[in-house]
Amino acid sequence: MTRIKRGYIARRRRTKLRLFASSFQGAHSRLMRERTMTQQRIRALVSARRDKKKRKRDFRRLWITRINAVIHETEVFYSYNRFIHNLYKKQLLLNRKILAQIALLNRSCLYTISNEIKK
Amino acid sequence: MATQAAAASFNGNLKKAVAGIKRINLDGLRWRVFDAKGQVLGRLASQISTVLQAKDKPTYCPNRDDGDICIVLNAKDIGITGRKLTDKYVGHLKERSLKDQMAKDPTEVIRKAVWRMLPTNNLRDDRDRKLRIFEGNEHPFGDKPLEPFVMPPRTVREMRPRARRALIRAQKKAELAENGGTEVKKGKKRTPSQVTA
Repeated sequence: MTRIKRGYIARRRRTKLRLFASSFQGAHSRLMRERTMTQQRIRALVSARRDKKKRKRDFRRLWITRINAVIHETEVFYSYNRFIHNLYKKQLLLNRKILAQIALLNRSCLYTISNEIKK
Repeated sequence: MATQAAAASFNGNLKKAVAGIKRINLDGLRWRVFDAKGQVLGRLASQISTVLQAKDKPTYCPNRDDGDICIVLNAKDIGITGRKLTDKYVGHLKERSLKDQMAKDPTEVIRKAVWRMLPTNNLRDDRDRKLRIFEGNEHPFGDKPLEPFVMPPRTVREMRPRARRALIRAQKKAELAENGGTEVKKGKKRTPSQVTA
């Protein structure tokens, strides 16, 4: 068998790891021999993958809370769920992201929408 | 200076608790005044916790503490339904019934109620710091110079089922003398219809 030196393969791999973990806190960015960096990198990648899916859920929750906040000020017993029900009844296709932006920037517009929908 | 003079004249023992811990908040926030007189404890506490979390603002952000500063007045006039005054225990290891607690320190009742309604966060402490509770009707913040405006206290919702029940109860009492009226009770277990004067 020909003799094969491993050369720079391992070094490349380790530099990549080091670069990835360079912003971690404390020992998590320093300890390569004790495997901390590798483990933290794995956890980081796992969180990233999982949270890409969670992000969509989180934002929808945020939009719903914000819409709810503004809708409660319209009337005494009015709330997000009734608002959305009315939206669907009138077949209005605005989604929650847009509604939340409207609530933030142009609140009177949202009031107009909700009044129109209630009829 | 002026604030401390005014605060000192208000109520000596509370001055420190009031004006001291205040530096940490931003001041773009509104000061909301809740009048606890006659309001039910839990319902008031849930409203307060909503305001403290800034959940009534469209700029709600769960990682930021943006809540308005809530001042609660008349803490000793808060209402409790049912027999909780004698039967409810504030804090479960140390047994102290609600009545004794009210006699001792009525602000603690509301504070605990709101504290437990806030999400258990790192922000919970900060939110609790924005809540000021007073027993009586005066508060030293009226003279505070940095006061954008005192929002009128949150309008109590018209408790329509409750009002209807109360009305029915009142009507029942009026009709008990005549012994008439088989009205449908709306689930009030405490006053059975057999009780007559």
